[in-house]
Amino acid sequence: MRPGLLTALGAPAVAMGATFLAFGAAVREAGLPLPWALGASLLIYGMPGQLVLLQFAAGGNGAAAPAVLGAVAANARFLPMAVALTPWLGGGRWARFLALPFIAITPWAAAMQALPGLAPPARLPWFLGFALASWSLAGVATAAGHALMPLLDPALLAALLFANPLYFALLLAAGMGVPASRRAVVAGALAAPVGLLLPPAWTLLGAGLLGGTVAFLLGRRGEDGRG
Amino acid sequence: MDGAAGTALLLAAAAMVGLRGGGMLLAGTLRPDHPFIRWAAAVSQAVLAAFVVLAVIAPAGGLAGVPLPARLAALGTGLLVHTRSGGRLLPSLGAGLAALLLARAVL
Repeated sequence: MRPGLLTALGAPAVAMGATFLAFGAAVREAGLPLPWALGASLLIYGMPGQLVLLQFAAGGNGAAAPAVLGAVAANARFLPMAVALTPWLGGGRWARFLALPFIAITPWAAAMQALPGLAPPARLPWFLGFALASWSLAGVATAAGHALMPLLDPALLAALLFANPLYFALLLAAGMGVPASRRAVVAGALAAPVGLLLPPAWTLLGAGLLGGTVAFLLGRRGEDGRG
Repeated sequence: MDGAAGTALLLAAAAMVGLRGGGMLLAGTLRPDHPFIRWAAAVSQAVLAAFVVLAVIAPAGGLAGVPLPARLAALGTGLLVHTRSGGRLLPSLGAGLAALLLARAVL
């Protein structure tokens, strides 16, 4: 587990720490208590869904269903991410389910880069080391953000909020040498404005489904052309 | 804790287990090069790319108050340092965030 844990304590820790710190502060600003902030960070563990849920909870409009559906839509990427990641995890048929609570953007993106280069027996321990470090950090940063909110100035809060998208952009840039990744990234980026035509809760998933499917089909067409 | 907010949190947490577990069950018998897995990987990466683009061109919450040129400067600086530094994440991240703070202060 140690190699994965050490990897998680580099740039991913900065990006995740900043984002969850900002989330904890936003929860405090919305008047919600620390247990709610920790529950959202550790049980939802996917920032778009957390933010949708917070938006609902802060509004206090009483109906849980739209908030839950919104959070599911915002984090629906967990399904394809789990499908893509699981075959790389190795481990036994059931042991790999230890990874279940930790499938989220940061561990997924790091694992998809690192796991193919590891021997199969080392893959699940690597992922669990990375994931446990990231998850624990998310909890600590959320609590810190909740406690420190009154002390953060708006400029610092904005920089914290931008850490996550910037970190993901850097991760995606690192994978641009692989044609399939490059196609998916470009198609997803181009589909983003199209997603804005959808209801807000569906923007991200809609853009991803459109861009990812187009990228996949273009790749298949390229293979057919060569084959 | 407010009742509706707590209920929404617990229901959403259960739904997240469903999404993650459903994906793992679905993938359990498929090889990494199976077309469905490749499609799922493409969708996941496209979601991530869309997330980045939306955070830059149409952000919500606290980021919406940061001018677009400042967000673009942060992204551009981060990617430039990433390219020039041979893909080192931490300096690239630091440079991008510093550019955001600088541009926000100037604009």
